Formats: sequence, C-alpha cells, structure tokens
Amino acid sequence: MTTNVPVIDSHAAAPQAGRKNFLNCSQGFWSWAGTLDHKRIGIMYLVGVSIALLAGGLFALLVRLHLWKPEGVLFGNVEYNQIFTLHGAFMVFLFVIPAIPGSLGNIVLPLMLGAKDVALPRLNLLSFYLWVTGAVLATLAIVLGGFDTGWTFYAPYSLYTDQAVVTIGLAVFVLGFSSIFTGLNFIVTTHKLRAPGMTWFRMPLFVWAIYATSILQVLATPVLGITVLLVAFERLYHIGIFDPRLGGDPVLFEHFFWFYSHPAVYIMVLPAFGIISELVSVHSRKPLFGYKLIAFSSLAIAIISFLVWGHHMFTSGQSTYAMFAFSFLTFFVAIPTAIKEFSWVATVWKGSIALNSPMLYTLAFLVIFAIGGLTGVILGALNVDIHLHDTYFVVAHFHYVMMGSIALAFFAGLHHWWPKIFGVIYDETLAKIACGIIFVGFNATFIPQFIMGSRGMPRRYATYVPEYEPFHQASTVGAMVLGGGVALMVFYLVASLFQRKTAMQNQWGGVTLDWLSPTPPPLENFDEPPTVTTEVYDYSTLDYKTMQTPVA
Amino acid sequence: MSHDGHHSVVIPAPGPEFVPHTVAHHFDTPVQEFQAAKLGFWLFLATEILLFGGLFAAYFYFHEAYPETFRVGGHQLDWRLGALNTSVLLLSSWTMAMGVRSAQTSQKQKTLLFCGLTVLGAVIFMVIKFFEYQAKNEHGLVVFSELFAPYDAATGSIPWFKDYHGVMAGLPHGHLFFAIYLTMTAIHGLHVVIGAGLILWIMKGAAKGRFHAGYFLPVDLVGLYWHLVDLIWIFLFPLLYLVP
Amino acid sequence: MSAHDHHAPGDLQMGHHHVSSAKLFFNVLMALLVLTVVTVAASRVDFGAANMLIAMGIASVKAALVIAYFMHVKWDTAINKIVFLSSFLFLSLLFIFTLADHATRRWDNDLHTMRTPVDKQWVYRQHEHAGDH
Repeated sequence: MTTNVPVIDSHAAAPQAGRKNFLNCSQGFWSWAGTLDHKRIGIMYLVGVSIALLAGGLFALLVRLHLWKPEGVLFGNVEYNQIFTLHGAFMVFLFVIPAIPGSLGNIVLPLMLGAKDVALPRLNLLSFYLWVTGAVLATLAIVLGGFDTGWTFYAPYSLYTDQAVVTIGLAVFVLGFSSIFTGLNFIVTTHKLRAPGMTWFRMPLFVWAIYATSILQVLATPVLGITVLLVAFERLYHIGIFDPRLGGDPVLFEHFFWFYSHPAVYIMVLPAFGIISELVSVHSRKPLFGYKLIAFSSLAIAIISFLVWGHHMFTSGQSTYAMFAFSFLTFFVAIPTAIKEFSWVATVWKGSIALNSPMLYTLAFLVIFAIGGLTGVILGALNVDIHLHDTYFVVAHFHYVMMGSIALAFFAGLHHWWPKIFGVIYDETLAKIACGIIFVGFNATFIPQFIMGSRGMPRRYATYVPEYEPFHQASTVGAMVLGGGVALMVFYLVASLFQRKTAMQNQWGGVTLDWLSPTPPPLENFDEPPTVTTEVYDYSTLDYKTMQTPVA
Repeated sequence: MSHDGHHSVVIPAPGPEFVPHTVAHHFDTPVQEFQAAKLGFWLFLATEILLFGGLFAAYFYFHEAYPETFRVGGHQLDWRLGALNTSVLLLSSWTMAMGVRSAQTSQKQKTLLFCGLTVLGAVIFMVIKFFEYQAKNEHGLVVFSELFAPYDAATGSIPWFKDYHGVMAGLPHGHLFFAIYLTMTAIHGLHVVIGAGLILWIMKGAAKGRFHAGYFLPVDLVGLYWHLVDLIWIFLFPLLYLVP
Repeated sequence: MSAHDHHAPGDLQMGHHHVSSAKLFFNVLMALLVLTVVTVAASRVDFGAANMLIAMGIASVKAALVIAYFMHVKWDTAINKIVFLSSFLFLSLLFIFTLADHATRRWDNDLHTMRTPVDKQWVYRQHEHAGDH
C-alpha cells in the first residue's frame, strides 16, 4: 500500500493492487482539515469524541477516587462540584450525543445507502467544526473558573453561581447546532440519496435508527438552544423568567430543558439500538427478527419521547395532574423498547453465532440494556420516583443506559466497522479480554450504586454518611477496573493501526451495502454506483470469497 | 439518469447575461440537488420555529401568570409603530416573493430590483425599531446603558428597569413584560439583519447572472428565510403591541 | 418516494416548478394588510378571554397565507410540507404540557398565583389543621 501518492485523482481506474482509498488518496493536514469526504469527517469526529470520552472518563475516575472516604479524599466541595459537572457535561454534550451519529453514522450511513457522500458535505464539515468550537468553549469555561451547576444547568442556581455559566452555555448552544446540522444532513441524505432499488424497507436498521435520531435532533435541540441562551440572558440582563426573585419560575426552566433533554436520551440511545440491530444480524448470520417492528419502534420511540419529559420533574413542584400524565405516558416508551430487545434476542436464537469481539460487546449490551431499561420503568412510576429521585439509583439507571448501553454499543460498532474503515484488524484475544474487563468493571461500579441509591444515598454530594462507605468503595474499585478495560481497548485499537494486520474485504460476512463497497472504501465509496435488487439481510446473497480475500 | 461520475452535470444559461450552473459531484441530477437542498432548508426552518417557540411558550406562561402586567405593559408600546412595521415586513415579504418569481422567470433586472426593495424594507423596519427602543429607553422601561449592570439582590431592583413615569407601579414584576419584549424583538431583529445580509449576497450573485430559470435555488432558500422572519413577526405584533 | 424521483431523461432544469402569477402574490399581500387592520380593530373590542383566541386566530390565517403562497408550500413536495408543519405540531406539545402544568398547579393549591414547592407546605398545614377538627 503506497501512501506517498501526490496526485489526487479519485476518478482514475483503480488498480487492484495498492488501490487508492479514502485514507491514502491524498495527504497533508488540509486534505483532512478541509475535507468534504464523509468518511474523513467521520474519522475526525471519532478522534474528537474519543478524546472527550477519555477526558470525561478521567473526571469520572477523579469523582470515584474522591468518594473513597465519607469525608472525601481529593477535593473541596466546590472543586468536587466542578469535577462532576465536567464529567457530565463532557460525556453528554461532547461524547454521547455526537459519538455514534458523528463518527460511525457519518462513515457508514452513506455507504449503507449506496451514496457517494452525505447530501450536504459542506454542512457536514461545518457540523464538525461547530463541535470543535463547542469543545474549545467548554475547555475555555474550565480555564475561566469552571462551572459547578451539573450538566443540567438548573435554575435558579445556574443564575446565581459566580462561575463561567455563560461560556459553557454558549458551548452547549454551539454543540446543539452541530447536532442539528448532523441530523438535518442525515435526514436529507436518507430521503434523497438512496441508491436505485434501495426502498425504505430495504434500508439497514442502522439507517432507520439514525433517521429517527435525526428527527429528534432537528425538532428537540432548538429548544435547548433557546433555553441555554435564556439562562445566559438571565445572567446578563435579568429577564426574570427563570428567576423566582424576579417573578420567574425555575420549573419553567426544567420544562424547557427536559423538552430537549428527554428526547436527547433517545438521541443518544437510538443510534446504539441501530448498531446492535446490525450486529446481532451479521454475527448471527440471520435476517433480523421483526425488521419492520424494529424500524417502526425507532420512530415510535422518537415520537413518544416528546411526551414524557415531565418524569424528570416529579419533585420539582410541577402540578400533580401533569405528573400523572407524564408518569402514565412514560410507561409507553417501554413497549417499543421491549419490542427491540425481544427482536434482538429472537434474532440471535438459533442463529449461526460467531462469538467474536463485536458480538461479545453486543451481548454485553443486551444484558446491560435490559437492566438499564427496566430500572427506567421503575423510575417512571410516580410514587416510587418520589423516593428514588436524585439518589444514586437514578445515577446507576442512566449509567446503565448511557455508559453501559450506549458506550458499549459504540465500542461494538467500532470493533465491527474498524476493519471496514481502516482495512486492518485488531488483536482479537485482547479485544475479548477487554470486553470482559469492561463488562465486569461496569457492573461492579454501578450495582453498588443501585443498592445505596435505593437506601437513600443522594447524588452529587461531595461527602456522605459512613454507612455507605462499602458501596462507594466497591463502586470506586469497579470504576478503576472499567477504566483499565477501556484503556486496554484504546491500546489495542490504536496498536492495530501500526501493526497493520490486514483485514478481509468482508471481515464478518455482512450483506448490507457498506460491506459490498471496496475495503477501505474509495473516495466516492463505490467503483460502480450500486443498484439494490435483494431484500435487506438476505444472507443467501453472501459471497464467502470476500470473507477470505484480504484487503488489497 | 445515473452517469459515471466522471463528468459533472451542467445546467446551461438561458441567455448571455447568465452563467451556467454546475451540479455538485455527489448528485446525479439537478432535481436531486434542488430537492436535497430544499428539504435541508425546510428542516432548518423547522428548527427556527422551535427556537422561537421557546420564547413564545415563555410569553404565554407569564401572560397567564401576570395578565395585568402584560396588559398594561403592552399599552406602553406604540401600536401604530408596530402596525407600520408589520406592514413594512408584509410588503417586504411580497417583494421577496416577487424577487424569487423574477429569478424563476430569468428576469435579471427585476430580481435585483425586488431584492433591493426587500433590503430597503429591512432597513426601514430596523430604523423604526430603533426609534421604538429609544422611546422605551427614555421612559426608563428598558434603559440600554444599564442593561448589563449587575443585579442588586439587596434592593431587588433591576438596573435597566427604572420606569420613570411609574406606569407599571403596583403591578407584579413589571419588568417581565419588557424583558420578554426586548428578548423577542432583539432575536427577531437579529434575524432581520441576517436576512438582509443574505439578500445582499443573493443580489451579488444575481448581478453576476448566476440565477435563472434553470437554477434559482439560493434565491428560493433565502426567500423562505425572509418569509419566516415575517411569519414570526405576524405573531409578535398582536402579542406585544395589542396584548390580548 | 424513490431516491430518484420522477424526472424525464434529459431534463436539466431543476424540475417542474410552479411559478405563481404576480396577481396572486398581490392579492395575498392585500389580504395580509387587510387582516392586519382587522387584528388592530379586533383588539379594540373587549371579548374577554376570547381576545387572545381571536388575535391568534387571525395571526394563524395570516401565517397560513404566507406559508401557502409566499413560501410556495401549497405546491411543494409532501415531505417538505410534513417537515415544516410537524415543527408546529411538536411546538404545540411544548405549549400544551408546559401550560397545562402551569394551569393545573392552582388546582393543587387552591390559590390563584404561581406556586413553588415551598407553597405546598401551606396545603399540608391546612390539611393537618382540618384533621384536628
């Protein structure tokens, strides 16, 4: 594979040996920084969100270390508040929301549709730079004194604290538009750039999931944008709408915030569902059970997610009648979600299961998500939530979804498409070991949090009463194991880029269009514009030779 | 009509005063390019609706909480200026629609004329808005020089809300109406300025002959943006100047 | 809706676009200006709580005219119609739930001003007091 080819001519007939792909077709800083190619933008996103993940993870470990002793080990109260806020804000806004759509979505979605690129490539690059701008502003906010409001910026505290709330608010606003433009781009791409023959019900379920996510990104994120702007305005010129001293209502802030941030939970988790849908099918070599049900359940989740935000506000002073409605509606989310979980398990059942590392991450997801989802149903019950609200039970619940499910699905997808993107394969043994460590470490971290939460340990406190010490210490040990597992994963993935152990053209035997393009894909994805003639996940069309042909 | 990707599709110019348009490489046809961009822009407009929607929700929330404050507050605004500005924006929306139509029918001079008139409408709107703000400033309802001064929790008075004539005296949280008025009209005004800038950019392209019956996409999109600005004002006018 | 919607081979224009007549645009403008006058006139009459509904009703008619004709939505594709109109649908969810919470809080407290959690103590005290009898 020659890499020093100076001439950029993607249209030239590619020779079979040392063929040009999107990675080696051009070189230099600006060939990446100014690229309009969706795959390169996806890789830049991948690097960015990975840095955010490691930073957010580091903050998490600091939080856990601090909580080793009841009186706290590392920080004063203000610093502790800043560190857990940084953990939350970095993880939510810089990692979980953009991670899967920005990186894997960007790379895989046009491939799956048989398109040359996303519909609006310049907007795609703009999305990435907005993400970078948001990341810079968030970092700047740390330099300017930090912020201690929690990632939720609840009024009135966010209006009174003397920290850099305006700066981080601006960061969130910019990141919001990055997310909006990504979603907008994917909707247009899905509508307008499908290959001939690619009907809606021949689209892979990853595309369906990203499509549903995009609807949420476009329709919910603007409300977050105006909310953080209003918080900034409150601080700058005291509008008064969120400030109870001035006749405002902090509960209105919570309405606005959760109108976005509840759908945002599905902005985060739907892409993860999409990855899992792909992976259970490919690695079980079996068409998905209930394809249409999974597709429609993504849309159903997207719609229902707009009707339930008040379940984050059961102790806020919201009207009891509104709480009845929100609690009742919350249970409906469980239906499409359970349909998915059931369909995945039914897909694996009697499949030709390949227990390779992407599949192991997928199976870990299935277990963890079942726990994360079901504890959500518990919290959706109004009376139970009054007891559990703002305890570690809630913390454990959403980490089972956001970290255990979404991050594991992201890792699963990363392992799955890694050979596709880079043409190299990582050390499979290390991958399996890392997956096991992450699974054990994760559960060790958060099962104690369920227990102490149900016993009343409140979240976000820098100190605690001594009776919770064993749970906190178990959780801290678990977090260290989890951190070690992630570090191992990063190590062997990065190492694989240098070892250059060649992957196969179709490493896992996928039959969606992403696996039918050359590996790694050329600049415009396909040598010939593809035409789709078969149904999706039809493994009878699998060409086994591509599974044994190394990348050229 | 898939082609091999080696050659880009070119839309010919309808006359010597126009230039052809080259379709972006990743689209197969001009129709695909047009529809993709237009769908994208409609999605963007949907986000604008929801962004302003948050402000409208806040308005209704506090209108319900403090109806008297809003009623009296609304009387402090000059409805004649509001109605005049409404008419200016409606007229400019019409000139913009005519501008798009002129581009669709390859009438270069008329495109420039109507776009120019639209920008003029934007300028008149902002000038009237300036005088309105100035009046609020004089009455101490929004003292701009004190806008960002720190809030004194001890006295509980808002630095930019002086109410020299005591028109809001005795009403709960009199500043709230003016804060919402200022926030909504300022964000709307920002959109007016951005819209005017975009129309100027369109005029630059139109002068070069880029827009004609074969390719008028940017004119169409900027037109949609301008109509959205009008659309929001249609709701702002009765809510702020004629508080129901 | 396939990826390559209806277009004749060799059609190098941007597709078939409806070009509205100048007369139609002028009529719409006139209707909008007349409705502006109606808005002002209606606000002069006290209809009680209905004033808000009337004002918003007229504004919605004006908005519909702008959307349908000036923004060409009447002749636009189905998906573009759905996208734009759905923004109003989802916005209405924000309005309905937020305002419904606000409106029903007074039922909680039997008071006509804005309530905060602190005020709920008042209800609880009343309750205890009633129990004493």
